[in-house]
Amino acid sequence: MGNIFSSMFDKLWGSNKELRILILGLDGAGKTTILYRLQIGEVVTTKPTIGFNVETLSYKNLKLNVWDLGGQTSIRPYWRCYYADTAAVIFVVDSTDKDRMSTASKELHLMLQEEELQDAALLVFANKQDQPGALSASEVSKELNLVELKDRSWSIVASSAIKGEGITEGLDWLIDVIKEEQL
Amino acid sequence: MPPLDKRIKKFLKDSIRIAPKISGKGELSELRTGLVSQYPQTRKDAIKKTIQQMTLGKDVSSLFPDVLKNIATIDVEQKKLVYLYVMNYAETHPELCILAVNTFITDAQDPNPLIRCMAIRTMSMIRVDKILEYIETPLRRTLHDDNAYVRKTAVICVAKLFQLNKDLCVELGVVEDLVNALDDSNPLVIANATAALIEIHNMDMDAVDLSSLIQSHVSQFLLALNECTEWARIIILGTLSEYSAKDSLEAQDIIDRVTAHLQHVNPAVVLATIKVIVRNLPQIEYSSNSLIMKRLSSAFVSLMSTPPEMQYVALKNIRIILEKYPELLTKELRIFYVKFNDPLYVKLEKIDILVRLVDPSNLKQCTLLLTELKEYAMEYEPEFVSRAIQALSQLGIKYAQESFVSKVLDILLELLERQDTIKDDCCISLCDLLRHCPGNDKMAKQVCAVFNTWSNPEVLLQSDIAKCNYVWLLGQHPNNFSDLESKINIFIENFVQEEALTQMSLLMTIVRLHATLTGSMLQSVLELATQQTHELDVRDMAMMYWRCLSMPNNESLVNDLCQNKLPMISNTLEKFSPEVLEKLLMELGTISSIYFKPDSNRRKGKKYVQNIVKGKHIEELESMAKNEISSKANDDVLLDFDERDDVTNTNAGMLNTSTTLGDLDDLFDFGPSEDATQINTNDTKAVQGLKELKLGGDSNGISSGGKNNPDVSGGNIVSQDLLDLF
Repeated sequence: MGNIFSSMFDKLWGSNKELRILILGLDGAGKTTILYRLQIGEVVTTKPTIGFNVETLSYKNLKLNVWDLGGQTSIRPYWRCYYADTAAVIFVVDSTDKDRMSTASKELHLMLQEEELQDAALLVFANKQDQPGALSASEVSKELNLVELKDRSWSIVASSAIKGEGITEGLDWLIDVIKEEQL
Repeated sequence: MPPLDKRIKKFLKDSIRIAPKISGKGELSELRTGLVSQYPQTRKDAIKKTIQQMTLGKDVSSLFPDVLKNIATIDVEQKKLVYLYVMNYAETHPELCILAVNTFITDAQDPNPLIRCMAIRTMSMIRVDKILEYIETPLRRTLHDDNAYVRKTAVICVAKLFQLNKDLCVELGVVEDLVNALDDSNPLVIANATAALIEIHNMDMDAVDLSSLIQSHVSQFLLALNECTEWARIIILGTLSEYSAKDSLEAQDIIDRVTAHLQHVNPAVVLATIKVIVRNLPQIEYSSNSLIMKRLSSAFVSLMSTPPEMQYVALKNIRIILEKYPELLTKELRIFYVKFNDPLYVKLEKIDILVRLVDPSNLKQCTLLLTELKEYAMEYEPEFVSRAIQALSQLGIKYAQESFVSKVLDILLELLERQDTIKDDCCISLCDLLRHCPGNDKMAKQVCAVFNTWSNPEVLLQSDIAKCNYVWLLGQHPNNFSDLESKINIFIENFVQEEALTQMSLLMTIVRLHATLTGSMLQSVLELATQQTHELDVRDMAMMYWRCLSMPNNESLVNDLCQNKLPMISNTLEKFSPEVLEKLLMELGTISSIYFKPDSNRRKGKKYVQNIVKGKHIEELESMAKNEISSKANDDVLLDFDERDDVTNTNAGMLNTSTTLGDLDDLFDFGPSEDATQINTNDTKAVQGLKELKLGGDSNGISSGGKNNPDVSGGNIVSQDLLDLF
């Protein structure tokens, strides 16, 4: 009896449900580092991700299913395979890599045009703030043309995955938005 | 906040969680929804359903990306299912496989050895080039894993990698790891590493120096032998049989160490052990031989109580070993008596073994076998009966005493009376017996008396070889037949319909008897043979006779032609040539032991074909096929040309035939060419034809040209026959 009630309760509040979050971005932006910073709170040595990493983490009573997809040019076309049922996208940008800002911007906007991602919230991490010469969050925002985004909750946060700065703040914002909009 | 109705809809949707149903319509999309569901259990159910559909043979390859998403999971069962799916469909979605690479690499470091093992196995199994680029790290890691189970899988993966991409394999240098694995502490790893090395060696002879590796690791193999599984044992025993012992002591040691496995339940292990023993047997002291023989015998006896298929393989192998060690198993004759419920193929092999096994110096045994064979000859299966009748004559000739032969003769005549359908076989066998005792007129009379009663032998006898024998008998004992001319006439009338052997035999008989027969017969048969037949051999033979008969002062020659007697045959059992026998002994328990064809030469051609096709695009393959066809077409034209040539110029045609024959011999790579080539090439085919004509040398009825029998025992007799003929 108790089981039935608790499972009904689970469903009502969605605690057994997994929220799907994608971490995307160009190669070498720090996606895998951010994922493991979120999961185990440590910096791990990473290799280029060929394919994807996926981890399930509990955050504020929510079960998050976080997918970190490889950013190599060869793998980017396959991002679309993962778009279905996505609650939010975390887009990671290497703030020091000014040359490829336009590429990042192009990929970002291309992705957001997808039908399946219309309801997804967007969080941009302007990563590698610990590095000298990194662009600030607002500069990155400008480079990526974030202002053009309509009908979407988005935010940009300056972060450093190595030092662990900005990550939790960003995620907190994201969870709040998701709770509000989608649960 | 989204509007209220949207939220309610969403709530309803989420709260009803059902496993996806498989309905006839749109099941793929239902499965897809299930696969990307937000609930882990639903996803797992969906994967199960997908695999279910896959095993039913439905094409669910379009779900590949969605199934692949589920590869990263801590649930071992789910992982296994996804791996299964990936293995199955990787080839249809090579580009998407790259998405799984990261998981493979992560899984290869998983704390659970099962998962590590699964990851590396699947990764090496997928035939996708892009994946192979990333195999280095996980492969190296698993090759040096702490867990033996993982290591034993990884060593096999090296062989797979070698097959998929040889250059990469060499570049990574993992073959050296494989060699090191031969010194592993775990017997299973040793066995698998050996198997992998053998595979690699088979693919590329130069990649590893297998024989020297075997030489240096014999002690490891012998140690590992006792503690591993059946499969591993077979591999290790197989490897040991490649090793030639340094001296008799070592050979003895190896035999002692493996002998225990003769009692293994698995017939394959037993056969592999026998192979090792047979390999080392020639090296050891003769004194200990008899004990080993006894053990071998008992091993074979136990193999005779396995299912029929295995018995068949065992019988084939016994046949080979018997030729080298005829003393083996003589005491166990009874084991090979045919049981009523043996399948036909086993029965036939058993008869073969029985006749070989029986000891010709032991009258009691021979008599027993004789009665046994007589029983067989009264069974109902035609092939079996025919083989039994053949065996009767083989037994008679093997025992070699005239009184015994006449006993066999009586049995055959009795059988002939009893049944009509066996005339062919009896005819062949009786003629064999008569050739064994050429001087015995009483027997000849007996046989001829029976044959004489047949009103229409041309119809009664079905097979070419039986007719050939009958006609030969007419020529040998013309006085025992009444109305000889009409009997021969029937055959002359049907000359064109007869096959080559009968035609030639008829030609010989008529030439032999031409003095007593009416003159027109000789003339007409010579004309028929030179003009009406398409058989070159028959034509050549007729030409030759004609020329001999029309030579001036030919009396002594004609006399020789007519009075000559064929030499006595003393053995009708087929034998391998010594080289073939040695090769077959090295390949016991393999497919070559079933076909009696050593495989050493067969291999190269096969590899070549594989290499041609692998790694080519469809367009390339198409153009290859086109080239092939066009070159074949040219061949055809050439052949046509040859045939025309044939008609106009017999000589050239004949040369051509002999080269074709030479090719055929190359193709089969057996002995027959060696006795043929001694004689002028022009006569090659005639010799082959005559070989068949030796009336009972082997009564197997082998068709001319396609001589695919390793037996060349008759070779010497044939050339002898031929010389006598001239």
